Amino acid sequence: MGPRIVPFGDAALLVELADTVSVANARRARVLAAAIERAREQEPGIDAPVAAAASVLVPFDPARTQADTAREVVEAALAVASTGGAEPHAASLHELAVAYGGDDGPDLELVAVELGLRPDEVIELHAATEYEVLFLGFAPGFAYLGEVHARLIVPRLATPRVRVPAGSVAISGPMTAVYPQASPGGWRILGRTDARMFDPGATPPARLRPGDRVRFVPRR
Amino acid sequence: MSGPEVLEVVDPGLLTTIQDGGRPGMAGEGITGGGAADRWSMAIANALAGNAVDAAALELTIAGPTLVALARVTVGLAGGIGGRVANTGVAVAPGTTFTLQPGDTLLLDGPATGARGYLAVPGGVDVPEVLGSRSTALGAKFGGLEGRPLARGDRLRAGAPADELTLPPRSWPGDPAPTPGPIRVLPGPHAAYLGTEALDALLATAWSVSTSSDRVGLRLEGPPIAGGPVAELASHGVVAGTVQLPPDRLPIVLLVDHQPTGGYPVIAVAITADVDRLGQLAPGSSVQFQATTPEAAREAMEMRRFLFRAGADELRENGRWDDLWLSAR
Repeated sequence: MGPRIVPFGDAALLVELADTVSVANARRARVLAAAIERAREQEPGIDAPVAAAASVLVPFDPARTQADTAREVVEAALAVASTGGAEPHAASLHELAVAYGGDDGPDLELVAVELGLRPDEVIELHAATEYEVLFLGFAPGFAYLGEVHARLIVPRLATPRVRVPAGSVAISGPMTAVYPQASPGGWRILGRTDARMFDPGATPPARLRPGDRVRFVPRR
Repeated sequence: MSGPEVLEVVDPGLLTTIQDGGRPGMAGEGITGGGAADRWSMAIANALAGNAVDAAALELTIAGPTLVALARVTVGLAGGIGGRVANTGVAVAPGTTFTLQPGDTLLLDGPATGARGYLAVPGGVDVPEVLGSRSTALGAKFGGLEGRPLARGDRLRAGAPADELTLPPRSWPGDPAPTPGPIRVLPGPHAAYLGTEALDALLATAWSVSTSSDRVGLRLEGPPIAGGPVAELASHGVVAGTVQLPPDRLPIVLLVDHQPTGGYPVIAVAITADVDRLGQLAPGSSVQFQATTPEAAREAMEMRRFLFRAGADELRENGRWDDLWLSAR
């Protein structure tokens, strides 16, 4: 589908680029958001764009910018992005040591049964992919990583856990992630890392940034 | 350098946090805007205390705290929660300033006309800025006082120097909180996908605010909205005032601590002028939605801006008032 620009209340537009979650769609969203970010210098009534799985939300201050002006900015940015815009910043590679299974990964065994795999095969498939950070959301420092191996696609829990421990490494659909803080959550927990994912005193506060690469290294 | 200690917490109440204008524009770090759930009322409390509209203030929730004054200090109160000075019996109403003497006990236990109240001190509540704001981020536990609600024994500092802690008495010339009424909405980006019956059902129902509501969102109870299956979509950015329809078909209205992105279809979005009103809806209260137009949304926002400016001008006439109006939001 072509990009669809739809109003999101009286103070934002949503630019839908595609319907599905993929590395390619998230990349398109980041490149578009970067082009809008640059256009903000001329149009300060536009607030920081929010790039997500396959869309960009463009909030604006309705006291300073009309929806029509925001739409023109988006259309111009779409034209820039389609001729090959740039990622907002250079990608880093992160290696995160993970203790899989046991108390650290309470869902490993059940996920393996569900997928018709052995637990060590689930670990191997999960650790074999070099993931890309699609976008951040859900919680400070929570990075959506994609895409997991086609044989590892499982639905989230029907009833989310009340408390997922900090550092939990989990999968859901085509994505995997590390929970930066203890929080409620419905993803399937395979393991845990000791890496600190979010530090409000650090610059930048989130360890993983959109476009970064991530490898999970099984800890023996 | 820190300001003088002005208040000590004797009883924190249900949930009292330090909030300001929040952390806009940080969704790329996974950080939500946060800040006061009712910016309008916080702005009035700050205007009364002689502060900029977005200075850090206390946000009180339903049952407010009990505080003891550690110095002679004038505080500004606004929003939906009133109280009294326990040792003198003097009632304190939202929309006014009052000066506490050292040792006075301020009991902010009502009457409550809304879910949240705001208490401002001269110079704002003095805590370190974290990521550009003094707001308490309760989920990730940072900002405010170590990222947590106020607790018994906490001592709060004011940003103003010791010789500028008192102000003459004054009161806000209009309502001290957003006026109650239906929440005006525009159809959401997925309203067409959900079908006109779904939007009609949202608008026709008097919804009840569930007790599981918080600063993240209002969960609404009522007849589930009929229609076909609700699929989860690819996550997209959301704003405060977003009305989502999750698979159980009971709407969730996002408030200021919403996650930066969400995957439930968006059936409607509250207009900017009514987002603060959402912050005043207490569990158990009733809420109704009303369809409006982008033009009406714009007029409502301009009217709000006009009313605040008029109120601030009237306050300024009485004394040494700086330019209170910093932004329209």
